[in-house]
Amino acid sequence: MQVTFSIQRYDSSKDKKPYRQEFKLDVEPTDRILDCLDRIKWDFEGSLTYRRSCSHGICGSDAININGKNMLACQVLIQDIKKKRIKIDPIPGMPIIKDLVVDTTDFFAKYEVVKPYLIAKNPPPKERFQSVADRALIDEAVNCILCGACTSSCPSMWGNPNYLGPAAMLKAYRFAFDSRDEAPAEHLEAIDTSDGVWRCHTIFNCVEACPKEINLTWHISQLKKKMVEREL
Amino acid sequence: MSYKHLGSRNSGAPGWLFQRITGIVLIVAMVGHYILMHYTPTSGHSFASTFERMQNPLWKVFYLSFVVVGIYHGLNGVWGVVRDFKMKRWLSMTILGAMIILGIAFAVFGFMNVLVF
Ligand code: SF4
Ligand code: FES
Repeated sequence: MQVTFSIQRYDSSKDKKPYRQEFKLDVEPTDRILDCLDRIKWDFEGSLTYRRSCSHGICGSDAININGKNMLACQVLIQDIKKKRIKIDPIPGMPIIKDLVVDTTDFFAKYEVVKPYLIAKNPPPKERFQSVADRALIDEAVNCILCGACTSSCPSMWGNPNYLGPAAMLKAYRFAFDSRDEAPAEHLEAIDTSDGVWRCHTIFNCVEACPKEINLTWHISQLKKKMVEREL
Repeated sequence: MSYKHLGSRNSGAPGWLFQRITGIVLIVAMVGHYILMHYTPTSGHSFASTFERMQNPLWKVFYLSFVVVGIYHGLNGVWGVVRDFKMKRWLSMTILGAMIILGIAFAVFGFMNVLVF
C-alpha cells in the first residue's frame, strides 16, 4: 500500500521557520515508522535528521510526534496508525535543533534535580536485599527509558516550562519509594516546589504518550499523598 | 529554576490538601444554599424569612464560614492557575498581592452582609 509522509523540516542554523516536505512510500502494514524514516533518508532525502539507536524500544532516543501523538518511531507499525497520510513532527515543547531532533538539555537538567540515584550511606555487605512486595512498588517506574514523550506531551509543561515534568516526577517516585534508598526525603524535597509535583493537574496526556505504558499520573498521585503524610 | 512555597511550612502539601477539603465543604454548602434559596422560595429568600433565619447564630456561622471557605478556595485556585504559567517573580508576587487585597475586600463585603442582620 502507498502512504504519504508529511514531515516537518527545520534547520535551526539556517531556516527562519519550519516547513513541511512530503514523501510517498510503498509500505507493508507491518513496517515500523522508523523503517519508513530510514527508507526516506537512505533513498530520497539524505539530510532528513532524526535520532535513533537501538531500534527496539530500549534506548528512548526516537520519540517523535506521529499524527499529533507522541510515540516511539521504532515501536509503532503502519497498521497501528490506520491512515494513508502520516504527519510526522518533532515532539512538542522542546526547542528543535534539526528536523525531528529536539534539544533535551532542559529535560535532563530537570531529571537531575530529583537526584535520580539510590542514596545510601554505606556500601552493602554483599547486596541490598529487597522483598518482593517492596520491589512491586517500583515495578512500573523502573521501566522508564527517558524518551521524554511524557514531559513533552504535558500541557502543564507547555504553560510553565519551569515545571519539572512527569518524567522527573516518575524518577523521584522510583527512588523515594525504593526500600533500599536511605534518603527518600531528599527526592521528595526536590519536587516539593511550586514548579514541582503540584503543577501536575492529572491531565493524563503523559499516560497516553508513554510507550512503556507507565501510569505516570498514578505515580505522581502517590508522591502527593506521601508529601501530605509527611507534612501532617 | 523554581521558588519554594510561601508560608511557614515550606511545602505545597498543606495547601494542596486544604484545597481539596474546602472543595468538598463547598459542594455540600453550595447544594444546601441552592436548595434553600431556589427550591424553597417561601422559606428561602423573602426578606422576612431571611431576617428570621439570620437571627439564629448557627446560620450566621454557616454563612460566615461559607464566605471564608469560598474566598479561600476560589482565590487559591486562581493562584494555582497563575503558577501554571512561567512568569517573572515580581509579576507573580504583584498578582498575589492584588488577589490578597481582593480577597480581604470580598471578605469584608461578605461579613458586612451577614452581620447586618
Ligand atoms: S515515563 Fe514513559 S514517556 Fe516518560 S520518559 Fe519514561 S518511558 Fe518515556
Ligand atoms: S531507537 Fe531506541 S527506543 Fe527507538
